[in-house]
Amino acid sequence: AAEPWPENAVLYQQLKEEQILLSDNASSLAVQAFLQMCNLPIRVVCRANAEYMSPSGKVPFIHVGNQVVSELGPIVQFVKAKGHSLSDGLDEVQKAEMKAYMELVNNMLLTAELYLQWCDDVTVEEITHPRYGSPYPWPLNHILSYQKQWEVRRKMKAIGWAGKTLEQVLEDVDQCCQALSQRLGTQLYFFNKQPTELDALVFGHLFTILTTQLTTDELSEKVKNYSNLTAFCRRIEQQYFEGHDRDSSATVAARSAKRSLLR
Amino acid sequence: MVPGDAVRDGAARGDAEQRDAVRDGARVPAAGTRQAQPPPSQGSAPPEPPVPPVPPRGGEGGGAVPCGSGSAEDGGAPGAVLLGRGLGAALGGPRLPGRAGRLPALRTRDEGTISKTQQIITHLRKQKYNADYDLSATQGADTLAFVSLLEEKLLPVLIHTFWVDAKNYVEHTRKWYAETVPFPLNFFLPNSMHKRHLERLQLLWGDDYMEDEEKLEKELYRDARECLTLLSQRLGSQKFFFGDSPASLDAFVFSRLAPLLKAKLPNGKLQQHLKSLQNLCNYCTSILSLYFPWDGGDPLTSTPRAAGADGGEVEEDPHKRRNQLLSVLVGLAAMLGYAFLSGIVSIQRGSAGPGGRQPVALEEEEEEEEE
Repeated sequence: AAEPWPENAVLYQQLKEEQILLSDNASSLAVQAFLQMCNLPIRVVCRANAEYMSPSGKVPFIHVGNQVVSELGPIVQFVKAKGHSLSDGLDEVQKAEMKAYMELVNNMLLTAELYLQWCDDVTVEEITHPRYGSPYPWPLNHILSYQKQWEVRRKMKAIGWAGKTLEQVLEDVDQCCQALSQRLGTQLYFFNKQPTELDALVFGHLFTILTTQLTTDELSEKVKNYSNLTAFCRRIEQQYFEGHDRDSSATVAARSAKRSLLR
Repeated sequence: MVPGDAVRDGAARGDAEQRDAVRDGARVPAAGTRQAQPPPSQGSAPPEPPVPPVPPRGGEGGGAVPCGSGSAEDGGAPGAVLLGRGLGAALGGPRLPGRAGRLPALRTRDEGTISKTQQIITHLRKQKYNADYDLSATQGADTLAFVSLLEEKLLPVLIHTFWVDAKNYVEHTRKWYAETVPFPLNFFLPNSMHKRHLERLQLLWGDDYMEDEEKLEKELYRDARECLTLLSQRLGSQKFFFGDSPASLDAFVFSRLAPLLKAKLPNGKLQQHLKSLQNLCNYCTSILSLYFPWDGGDPLTSTPRAAGADGGEVEEDPHKRRNQLLSVLVGLAAMLGYAFLSGIVSIQRGSAGPGGRQPVALEEEEEEEEE
């Protein structure tokens, strides 16, 4: 754990143009934003089977030295063990709040994204199914899609979201955004001057929602209602993603997301 | 406006506000109380202990839980008052887990029985009982966030502690339920709840964790402990989370912590950690004494007695009694069936003789034929 961050760290995610879905894109962007904020170089590599390569089954995951870590939470801890941390300057109460808000985003935004992708029939048919199985030949693409859908639906049922209608889910998203907006207020970042992993997570999700074209615009409309959140996203994009010319993966991702998810 | 005054009037616990709400079965939705409608709903609330002392824990329980005690709904909302003990009599019979048998359940005059935590809260809000009335927007946002934190980190581990951890389940939780649920459901109900919770955890955590006990212990319990510590830090030395009057977040946190604190779990690592956080313990006891005065004193007197006696036996075979009964029944049924089918015993109308005639008759026929 005392090794410095190597130059050849890699982040794996699914294929940007054809395959990646809303929720995975959001998670991946959050990790990229976090690493940018820590000033740690990372290269993004797209693989069709990223999901299966990942140790926990979720994307994104990073390959650093000889270790593989997936998902934002463990990555944050891993980075901390290497000596880089964004939340050291916070006191105990703020840390508690930060963790709580991160769970809020995971609990509501991420689940809402998953719901939209996998439980809303229109979206499933027009966007998710074609994209999810696109790298594979027939009939494997259908089989994998259905399998994943079944799995996600079971999980939704277990946490009680299966009975919700789309309107209710959008209501939840709205409330979540309202809470985030309240917390952000007029500050630059959630905890004043310095960005933390919460900022990265929120940015990842909101930016993806704002720039992804789905069958309807309702989801992004909910976010657009809160001007301080959109300004926040723009600010982070400008500061961390457009400054680097070579490493403009997020900007490219953002721009391509605008076009590619249009089917 | 009514709510404002109502909320401030902490002392008016409920008795004053007799609504026509009769509370079915046990506890209070305060268990699942959240400020707005966040997602994982009733389903996620842990089971209700049938024994009084540990009040609000909305849960799904199927059985008729006799000691229903009432408590304030939204933490401070003196509104909902619910019946005290003796609710057992009011309950019909055993309920099967399913549509009608969900707890917490609120029976109102106008709208029948409402059984989802969130719906109960909405209903009360419509009746103008709202504990979050005077929270600022930021505090409201914080409520949402902390509720999510509890749901994600603490709740699954609580379910695991009570329902999945073998020792706890067999020695404590199952007994808890089996003692209060009437025969014959007490054989099956705790088991089915156990299975349901197990499945839920499996979906949430994946097979990885379920199979590897140590990993689960280490990581998930560590997260839960951290969550408790965070709560403690957030509470600090305040009386309630947002100052001096309780809000729905308090109800929510209390409902999760109180059972953990009070239950006598044999395997209580999480419990020990909670006990080491002094301010949370004080917080729980103060709410308990403020809003649940009839449950005062040291609870759970019934469990130790049972636990002592059956301790040894239970270790060997948790289902011994049930298996014995079932095997006797099956044996009897098999014998009777055979008897009827082979004609040893038959029911003949109008014939005085017992079955004995039949076989004798058969034999005679055989003899005749042989000849």
